[in-house]
Amino acid sequence: MNNSADPVAKENEPKFNWQFFFNELKPRGKWLTPFNIISIPIILLGLFLIVIRFWKGLGAITNLTQEVPWGLWIGFDVVTGVAFAGGAYVVTFMVYILNMKNYHSIVRVTVLNGFLAYAFYTGALLLDLGRPWHVINPMIGNSFGTSSVLFLVAWHFLLYMFAELIEFSPAIAEWLGSRRAHKILSGMTIGAVIFGITLSTLHQSGLGALYLMAKDKIHPLWYSEFIPIMFLVSSIFAGLSMVIFEGTISHKVFFNRISEKNNKAQNGIIHGLSKICAVTMFAYLVLQFVVFVHGHNWNYINTPMGYWFLLEMIGFVSIPMILFFYSYRTGHIFMIRLAAILTMIGVVMNRLNVTIIGFRWDAAVHYIPSWMEIVVTLAVIFTEIWIFRWVINRMPVLGDSPSWAKENV
Amino acid sequence: MHKNKQMDGFSYYDIFATKGLEYVIIIVFLLLLIPFWLILNKESGMTKKNQTALGILSARILRIPQGLFYSKNHTWMFIEKAGGAKVGLDDLLLHLTGKVKFTYLKNPGETINKGELLAEIDQNGKLLRIFSPVSGKIMDTNRLLNNSNGMLNEDPYGKGWIYTIKPSNWKEDTNSCYFGEDAINWSAKELERFKDFLARTTTNYTPETAMIVMQDGGELFDHSLSSLPNEIWKDFQKEFLEFDS
Repeated sequence: MNNSADPVAKENEPKFNWQFFFNELKPRGKWLTPFNIISIPIILLGLFLIVIRFWKGLGAITNLTQEVPWGLWIGFDVVTGVAFAGGAYVVTFMVYILNMKNYHSIVRVTVLNGFLAYAFYTGALLLDLGRPWHVINPMIGNSFGTSSVLFLVAWHFLLYMFAELIEFSPAIAEWLGSRRAHKILSGMTIGAVIFGITLSTLHQSGLGALYLMAKDKIHPLWYSEFIPIMFLVSSIFAGLSMVIFEGTISHKVFFNRISEKNNKAQNGIIHGLSKICAVTMFAYLVLQFVVFVHGHNWNYINTPMGYWFLLEMIGFVSIPMILFFYSYRTGHIFMIRLAAILTMIGVVMNRLNVTIIGFRWDAAVHYIPSWMEIVVTLAVIFTEIWIFRWVINRMPVLGDSPSWAKENV
Repeated sequence: MHKNKQMDGFSYYDIFATKGLEYVIIIVFLLLLIPFWLILNKESGMTKKNQTALGILSARILRIPQGLFYSKNHTWMFIEKAGGAKVGLDDLLLHLTGKVKFTYLKNPGETINKGELLAEIDQNGKLLRIFSPVSGKIMDTNRLLNNSNGMLNEDPYGKGWIYTIKPSNWKEDTNSCYFGEDAINWSAKELERFKDFLARTTTNYTPETAMIVMQDGGELFDHSLSSLPNEIWKDFQKEFLEFDS
C-alpha cells in the first residue's frame, strides 16, 4: 500500500510541478518480482535485436522473404493485437452511447489497454517497414497513396490513438491535479467516443481488407471476400474476452488500487459481458458457415488444413460460445474466464491462419518466424505491460477519481 | 456443381450455385436465434443475483417482508405481541439513497403524532426528513444504529429498526398503509414513479444529465440519489416522503 505517496490523495495540488513529475517516474515497490525477472532480460535482448535490425536490415533477424514480406510482427503484433484492443470501442459504446452505466468502472482500464495496444503494436509496425521514415508520407501528403487500404489503416490508427488518448485524458488530469484541463478534457469525451467508434469499426474491418489483395496466397478456408466483416465481428468478442481476462489479472495484481465499489461490481460485469460474447460468437459462427458454403469450401475439409480449420471453429469458437452461454445461465464466473481464454486462443489462431499459417500454405518452403522475431514480439508485449503497470499504479484508473473531479464535470 | 476456372492464379466460382442453401442457413439461424435468446434470458436466480452485483435497482431485488405495514412516506411498522410497534425505513428508500447517517429527533418518553417529524437521515449534508407512520409514545430507540450505520441498509427490517413506539390508535393509523400483496405492488409503482421523477428533475438541475433519458428498458441504478445534488433531494422529500393522510 503506497497510498501515502499517492498524488491522488493530494487533492488540492493546484498546479503542475516538475518535482512531482520526476518523483512519479521512479519505480515503486519490489524490484525482484517473477514478472520482472522474466521480462527484463527479454526486453533487453529485444532492444539489442532491434538495434541489429536497423543496423543490418530486416534479413539479419527475420525469416521474411520477397514471397512472404509480412510475418509475425504484422500477423501477431498488429493484426491480432488490434483485434484484442477492440474491447475499447465496444465498452465505450455500451457506456456512453447505450448508457449502460454499470460498466462505467471498466471504461478507463479498457481504454488505457486499447490505447497502449495501438501505440505499441502499430509502433512495432515501424520495425517491419523497409524504410520506416516513409511512414509519415500518407500523413503529410508526400504521396498519400489513397488507392491503398493501408492509407485508410494508417489514418485510422493515428486518429483512433488520438481519440483514445482524449477518452483517457481525464485520468491524466486527475493524476496531475489539474482542474481546468480536467474540465475541458472531460467535455471532449463523448465526441471522442463517437469519433472513436466510427474509426474502430472501419479499421477493424480495414485490417481484414488488407488481405483481400492476397486472394491467391491465402488458403481458401480462410480467404473470402468477407474477411473484413469476419474481422469486425470477431473483434467484438476478442476485445471483450481480453477485457474479462485482463480484469481477472488486474484484480489479483492491483488489488490495492481497486476501490471497494469496483471490486464488488467485477463479477457482475464479467457476467454481463459473457452474454454479449455468447450472442456475437453465435452470429459469427453462422457467418462463417454461410461463407463456408458460399465458397464451396467442403472440398477442403478432408485435408490437414481442413482439420485445422475445424479445430479453430469447433474447439475455439463453438466450445467457448457454449461455455459463455452455459456460464451466463448459471453464473459460473470461473467458467466465463475459461471461455474467455479459449476465445482468445481462437482469435490468435484465426488471425495467424489468415496472416501466417494459411498464407502461402502451398509454398515449398513455409515461413516460420525466427526466434529473434519472437523475442522482439515478446519484448514489445512486456514493455507495454510495464507501461500499463506504471500508469495503473499512479493514475485513478481502477479506483475512484478524486472527489473534486466528480464535481468538476 | 463446383466449377473452378483457374486463371492467373485466381479462381472463379459460380456465386449463385449455393444461394438456395445460404437462404436456408440464414432462415435456420433466425429460427435458432429465438430459443437461443429465450433460454439465454430466461428468468433465473442468477438474474437477481447479477442485478444485485451490477447495482441495478429493480422491484425484484427489493425486500418487502410480509406482516409489516408500509406507510406512504417510506417507513414501516410492525405491531409486536407486547403491544409496541417497531418502526423503520423501507428498503426502497435505502436503496435509493445508499449509505446514510441517521439522527434521532425524539427521545424515549416523548409523544409523537402521526405525520410528525421523527428523524433525519443525511448523506454529506444532503438531508431527508422522516415522518412518523403512527401516533403514540416513544418507548425505545435502537442503540445499535448509533455505532454502525451499515445496519440500517443491511437489515432495514431487522436489526436496522429505529424506534419502538407504543401506539395510541394503531388501527386508524394503519388504514392508509399498505399490507401484503398491496405493499409489493405499491413498491413497484413507487419505483416507476421514481424513474419519472428522475427524468423530470435531473433535467432541471443538471444540464449535463439531460441526455439520460430512461426509455422503457432503462434500468434504475442502485443509490440513484446519492450522486444527485441537494435540490433533487429536496424535491424527493416533497414528492415521496411527505403525505398528510
